[in-house]
Amino acid sequence: MLRLENMSCGYGPVRAVTDVSFELPDKSALALLGPNGAGKTSTIMAIMGHTAVQGGRILFNGEDITHVPPVRRVDLGIALVPEGRRLFTDLTVEENLTVGGYHLSTRNDAANRARVYDLFPRLSDRRKQISGSLSGGEQQMLAMGRALMAEPKLLLIDELSLGLMPKMVDQCFAALATLRAQGVTILLVEQNTTRALDFAEHVCVMTSGSLAFSGTSQQAKQDENLFDVFVSAGHE
Amino acid sequence: MDPDPVYYVDLTLNGLIFGAMYALMAIGLTLVYGLLRILHIAHAAVYAFGAFITVIVANATGSIALGIVVAIVASALLGPAIYRLLYEPLLKHPPYVAMIASMGLLIFMEDGFRILFGEQGLTFTRNPYPTEIHQLFGVTINTVQIAMIVLSVVCLTALALFTTRTRVGVAWRATVSNPTIATSFGVDAIKVRYLNFMIGSALAALAGALIALLNNFVEPSMGFVVSYKALAIIVLGGLGSMRGTLIASLALGLVESFGTILVGSYLDRDALAFLFLIIVLMVRPQGLTGARA
Ligand SMILES: Nc1ncnc2c1ncn2[C@@H]1O[C@H](COP(=O)(O)OP(=O)(O)OP(=O)(O)O)[C@@H](O)[C@H]1O
Ligand SMILES: [Mg+2]
Repeated sequence: MLRLENMSCGYGPVRAVTDVSFELPDKSALALLGPNGAGKTSTIMAIMGHTAVQGGRILFNGEDITHVPPVRRVDLGIALVPEGRRLFTDLTVEENLTVGGYHLSTRNDAANRARVYDLFPRLSDRRKQISGSLSGGEQQMLAMGRALMAEPKLLLIDELSLGLMPKMVDQCFAALATLRAQGVTILLVEQNTTRALDFAEHVCVMTSGSLAFSGTSQQAKQDENLFDVFVSAGHE
Repeated sequence: MDPDPVYYVDLTLNGLIFGAMYALMAIGLTLVYGLLRILHIAHAAVYAFGAFITVIVANATGSIALGIVVAIVASALLGPAIYRLLYEPLLKHPPYVAMIASMGLLIFMEDGFRILFGEQGLTFTRNPYPTEIHQLFGVTINTVQIAMIVLSVVCLTALALFTTRTRVGVAWRATVSNPTIATSFGVDAIKVRYLNFMIGSALAALAGALIALLNNFVEPSMGFVVSYKALAIIVLGGLGSMRGTLIASLALGLVESFGTILVGSYLDRDALAFLFLIIVLMVRPQGLTGARA
């Protein structure tokens, strides 16, 4: 479904990610791990079209989308749950969902809302609330709900559990499992390595802008060096 | 001093009417700031442009209504043109560059009006409305003031409905809130900018036209005083907030109306806006509504 071929990206003269390649098969889940500043967000935002690609290609369902304008990528079936939620904080819950489904016009709007409220009943009780006043967990749910409104085939999630209480983390992962069962392909960036490895069958680990490991979760769990990547990064 | 209650009702009404005009003018300014972080000072020139077009078309055709409509349409085209030709090429530079260019355009347009229409300004050849007096609940009010109330309520309500009840309106607010993420969901930020300049400029032109009718007079520098008042208003309203701008506009209208009576002998009406700005920012640095940091 998604394929990065020697993709490099960055900000002006700054290079954030160098020569990253991986493949995400249809209906699979891939965890993208790595210490702070490794380039995970930059990679996700490059797939969304917001980080400038400086080399290589991004393919989506066989099509080269490297130069597709950001505003058109949602039409292909790619939706984003950005780092730090980045809700439209002065819009209500409902209005955030409206924007999530904007590219579909009113097609399936009611059905998609029902699906979001089904998955996150807490949001259903807060439809008219200004999203900036939601709790952290509710905001994360809304960020996911907003992305679901776009009817994504590929869901890009940057830091699902960051700053959430354990109970909320459980709920968010449960929702993610439901989505997977419904056939959504998932690319997950996550600080909580254990949960990420339990959830996804594929794993990529990045350090300082390049790929340090790529394989299955099983392999990753057995790889001792991988542990060092995080430990050494933690002691920097 | 005669504490006649009708007198205070009169002052209040007058304050609210002026406040409504400030709101029509300042909303475009706050929207541009919210979207692009540019202080669109030339917005005041669009306001004056609307006023001039109204007078010119009204005098040429004999229809004031037609004058207003033409002024609104022309300004709704001028605004997006200013964005496309002046601001868009400057977006890659820090915002003050666009602000300086905007000041330049204000001066350029003002002098343009001066060269084209003369230093003295223009008057309507036939404008009976400011002298048509009505008694409304014991208050004296003229036809232009009634039009000001009705049109500003209609326009601001329409704008509120548009931005909350339509998908395009909601997407517009989402773009102001977070352009990158709105783009990720298929909202075309460039179209939103055009829409923004179109609506803001149309409202400013309406305000210009109504003020022209009320004073029965337009002059090249009429935008100048309004421009700094509008800047004070959007700061008070908490830069980028529509609701805050509306509240700050009405508040300033009232402060001016009552202030002229209370301290009018020491302070010019136009200086009150700044006094008000300074006092509010001392007490509430986040602006009147504190909607934004
Ligand atoms: N807007 C930007 N301009 C310049 N450099 C940036 C920008 N955003 C990120 N970088 C740099 O790119 C590199 C990768 O950052 P990125 O945010 O992609 O890492 P990350 O893996 O998501 O980190 P974290 O776990 O902290 O979220 C870092 O060195 C960072 O400083
Ligand atoms: Mg990140």
